[in-house]
Amino acid sequence: MSNRWDIFCRVVDNYGDIGVTWRLARQLAAEYGLVVRLWVDEPAAFLRLCPAAEAPLSGQCIEGVEVRHWPVVFPPVEVADVVIEAFACHLPMRYVEAMAARQHKPLWLNLEYLSAEAWVTGCHGLPSPQAGGLPKFFFFPGFVDGTGGLLRERNLLAQRRAFQTAPEARGEFLAHLGVRPAGNTRLISLFAYENASLAGWLTALAADRQPTLLLVPRGRIEGELQRWFGAQPSPGHCWRRGNLQVQLLPFLRHQDYDRLLWSCDVNAVRGEDSFVRAQWAGRPLLWHIYPQEEGAHWTKLDAFLDLYCSGLSPQAGAAQKSLWHAWNGRGNMHAAWVAAQPQMAALSSRAEGWCREQAKRPDLALALVRFHRNWLLCAA
Amino acid sequence: MKTAQEMKANSVALIDGHPWLVQKAEFTKSGRNSAIVKMKLKNLVNGSKTETVYKADDKMEPVILDRKEVTLSYINGEDYVFMDPEFNSYELRAEDLESVLPFIEEGMTDICEAVFFDGKVISVDLPTTIVRQITYTENSARGDTSGKVMKPAKLRNGTEVKVADFCEIDDWIEIDTRDGSYKNRTQAPTA
Repeated sequence: MSNRWDIFCRVVDNYGDIGVTWRLARQLAAEYGLVVRLWVDEPAAFLRLCPAAEAPLSGQCIEGVEVRHWPVVFPPVEVADVVIEAFACHLPMRYVEAMAARQHKPLWLNLEYLSAEAWVTGCHGLPSPQAGGLPKFFFFPGFVDGTGGLLRERNLLAQRRAFQTAPEARGEFLAHLGVRPAGNTRLISLFAYENASLAGWLTALAADRQPTLLLVPRGRIEGELQRWFGAQPSPGHCWRRGNLQVQLLPFLRHQDYDRLLWSCDVNAVRGEDSFVRAQWAGRPLLWHIYPQEEGAHWTKLDAFLDLYCSGLSPQAGAAQKSLWHAWNGRGNMHAAWVAAQPQMAALSSRAEGWCREQAKRPDLALALVRFHRNWLLCAA
Repeated sequence: MKTAQEMKANSVALIDGHPWLVQKAEFTKSGRNSAIVKMKLKNLVNGSKTETVYKADDKMEPVILDRKEVTLSYINGEDYVFMDPEFNSYELRAEDLESVLPFIEEGMTDICEAVFFDGKVISVDLPTTIVRQITYTENSARGDTSGKVMKPAKLRNGTEVKVADFCEIDDWIEIDTRDGSYKNRTQAPTA
């Protein structure tokens, strides 16, 4: 079977695009022995996720993946057997012409955004006929049968369970980050866009009887934290008010970010990549969805909530919905957080149950490999 | 060239050298302000049909089509016969009219446009606004008069549309045929 795959990633903003494609590339190479080349137009974004890489990205092999800078003037290269354009990016024209010129046309896939909306199953896997007889298809990740599933490495859940059942592993990992929580402290990770609801949440956490340690990988939310505390962080990158302590963490590699999610009691995540990783952590999560024009993100948020909350009691479901709505700017975050506390045990149980349900489905990499295999069989 | 988003139902695109009739086009926001268009296409050469997806900003090559004013003459089972002012008749199957079928009913007087490719009629476009009569709807549940509260109603051909809560059986309403939405209550059309 042909085994060379090219993945194209255009970094629009943040680290979601490159995060997803880098994970996918690594998994395809490691678990399926595929020869994978990842093209990224903003090397700086990749270098932040993978400090081991060296600029300029000129074909360095990292974790089994050839990572290449996608320059404005695209060089002549040999076309792969499977070509993935991630998140609806447009392939370089020169590359498309080379695809069309190939005797055996490559399989061209547009890997789309993640959504829980019902229309996804009706669009997943549909063709998108192109000039030059190029076979192109749309591939949608998703949470239900009839979609492409979610990114999940083969050993991810086993690793997570081993980590979560070994307190010393957790303690060692946190200590490595300079985090030493007291015994009864609730750990929460925070990865978010700028968020007007943050202040209400911080106020609730500071006033809570249970101490909270909020762990924040450095990023766009720092400015709002500083405003709320009204001061620069202390030399240990910490702030404290009432029963809330906030600690800034360095920007984490993927593997370390997973461990952070596994270590925390609640995870606040954003966009697509960290949102999926938090689901595999099996802990309650708070999703800051990417805001879209005309409020289109609300439909997407509610579509996910409808699926997720179907496994909750009406009270817990209502608490989850209020909390997520408030976190995304509809409602009072302080009140929603306080109201959700009696439901935390139910939300924890649901998080683990949801993780198990999702793990029963083929993961995204496997679904892509199968799709390619079936396409080859049909074409033969 | 047009974008996929601009290709509406009953337009024809040349895809890889073949003319395809867009029988249905559904626009959806996929993520982070990008969008897709799901299309039901019919190959005008061999009659084959397919469902496809395009990015909303994908470029497509439109085919310029001939159009002629027609009115519905009669319906015979799955066959729909239209007539132009010179009394030439054009017969179409229900499957050729998929995008407008919910709003076609016996006795309608709307001035439509027959769409031709290579001299052959391939579909019919309805006016953007049509007037239809409600044959059934529940009584107003909340007494709302603002027009913001909606309820289901049936038209003469069985099509169900959402109408303002204050609409009643036998009322005439205006419908936007681009999306099937209710516009307002109106007078019966004059013959």
